[in-house]
Amino acid sequence: MFARSAIATRSAAPALNVIGQTRNMATLKEIQNRLKSITNISKITASMKMIASTKVTRAQRAMKVARIYGNVSCDFIEQAEVKKADGAKELVVVVSSDKGLCSGIHSSLSRHTRKYLADYPEAPVAIIGDKAKSQIQRVFAQNMTYSFNQIGSTIPAFDETSAIASVIISDKSIEFDNIKLVYNKFASAIAFETSEIECFPASQIVEAPGFKSYEVQEEILENLNEFLFANNLHWALVEGHAAEMAAKRTAMENATKNAGDIIQRLTLQYNRGRQTVITNELIEIITGASAL
Amino acid sequence: MSFLARTFKPAAAFARVSRQAATRLYASEASAASSGKLVLNFALPHQIVLSSKEVNQVDLSAVSGDLGILADHVPTIEQLKPGVIDIIADSGAEKYFVSGGFAIMNPNSVLNINAIEAFKLEDIDAQAVASQLAESQRLAASAKDELTKEAAAIEIELYEAIQTALSTKAH
Repeated sequence: MFARSAIATRSAAPALNVIGQTRNMATLKEIQNRLKSITNISKITASMKMIASTKVTRAQRAMKVARIYGNVSCDFIEQAEVKKADGAKELVVVVSSDKGLCSGIHSSLSRHTRKYLADYPEAPVAIIGDKAKSQIQRVFAQNMTYSFNQIGSTIPAFDETSAIASVIISDKSIEFDNIKLVYNKFASAIAFETSEIECFPASQIVEAPGFKSYEVQEEILENLNEFLFANNLHWALVEGHAAEMAAKRTAMENATKNAGDIIQRLTLQYNRGRQTVITNELIEIITGASAL
Repeated sequence: MSFLARTFKPAAAFARVSRQAATRLYASEASAASSGKLVLNFALPHQIVLSSKEVNQVDLSAVSGDLGILADHVPTIEQLKPGVIDIIADSGAEKYFVSGGFAIMNPNSVLNINAIEAFKLEDIDAQAVASQLAESQRLAASAKDELTKEAAAIEIELYEAIQTALSTKAH
């Protein structure tokens, strides 16, 4: 009560300044409201960081397995030295997710894809995850073939992967030779890199120099190729998920830290303002008393 | 049992009945003989069963037939059908039932097996298999559309293969 009436009478008087700090008509009440809302926000970001950290440990364990699985699957491709054909048409599959608040994960994927599409504007694109879809659709809506959502909240399981792979492969209307998987590689707990995995068509596998030493029945070649694609897709999905969880954790950690900084700054401002008010009231009382 | 349910989708993706005449591409030259053991990598999407393990022999049940792989076997690619993989190493023999996948034998005596699901035979519950088999047979008989019929047929093949595997083990 005292403080409010003091402010009302003091609005015309010049505010007492600490060097370099002006209050710009922000009243103590407004600072208090800001403090309350930012404290709530920092609680939310702190809990999101905790959730993300538990998800990161689990996602990293799954990623280790998926990486080995993918490498075992690709071992044959490397040993046979399968190469990309000149002028091969690529289908770009972008592996992102539906959830945001993970710093540059989705925008890095869309930037990479857009750069590729600038060189090959005819390339068909399939997008997994709503976040990348909204970014790419703005500029390259005509290239989009399929988009998938409801991915990314949990560690991807192989049945999800094979469902996605089946849809992409069974649509014979899309023309492509190779498939390029664009995903985020988990570099460390605080860094990720957008990378690609190349999937070759059965025709290129047959042409590979190392392939002639393998004894294989022709009719399983197509099945093998689909299986290899599903394995690569699974690897990309799981590693992308791990990269996203790690990025979310660092993003929330930074957000909490920043919120903490703002809270400190505002608290100082609030206290100085409060002390100024009290000082002025005391001055008034004392001058009033001495005038008597 | 959820693991059985999970094998269908990948199995369904491969369920293309090929009517082409079977052609076999034979290896054009024998791989250089290198002394040493067979190195096995056995990976599932959610678990690495064996990594770079030295073994003596691996018996697979492939779509083209059953085969045994020894060290320096001719490089080959085989599609696996639901069945038992028998791994014989110096430390003993281990049998796993796999739902399907591919086995690739490389020229450097490395055998890579990618499967969707694999379980040791002792971990499989025979009662559950029997009840699920009955369920699938009922479904196959009563199904109206092609897709459900085909899916049920895959399930029946799987459960029957498990039953065969369990019964041969018992002997």
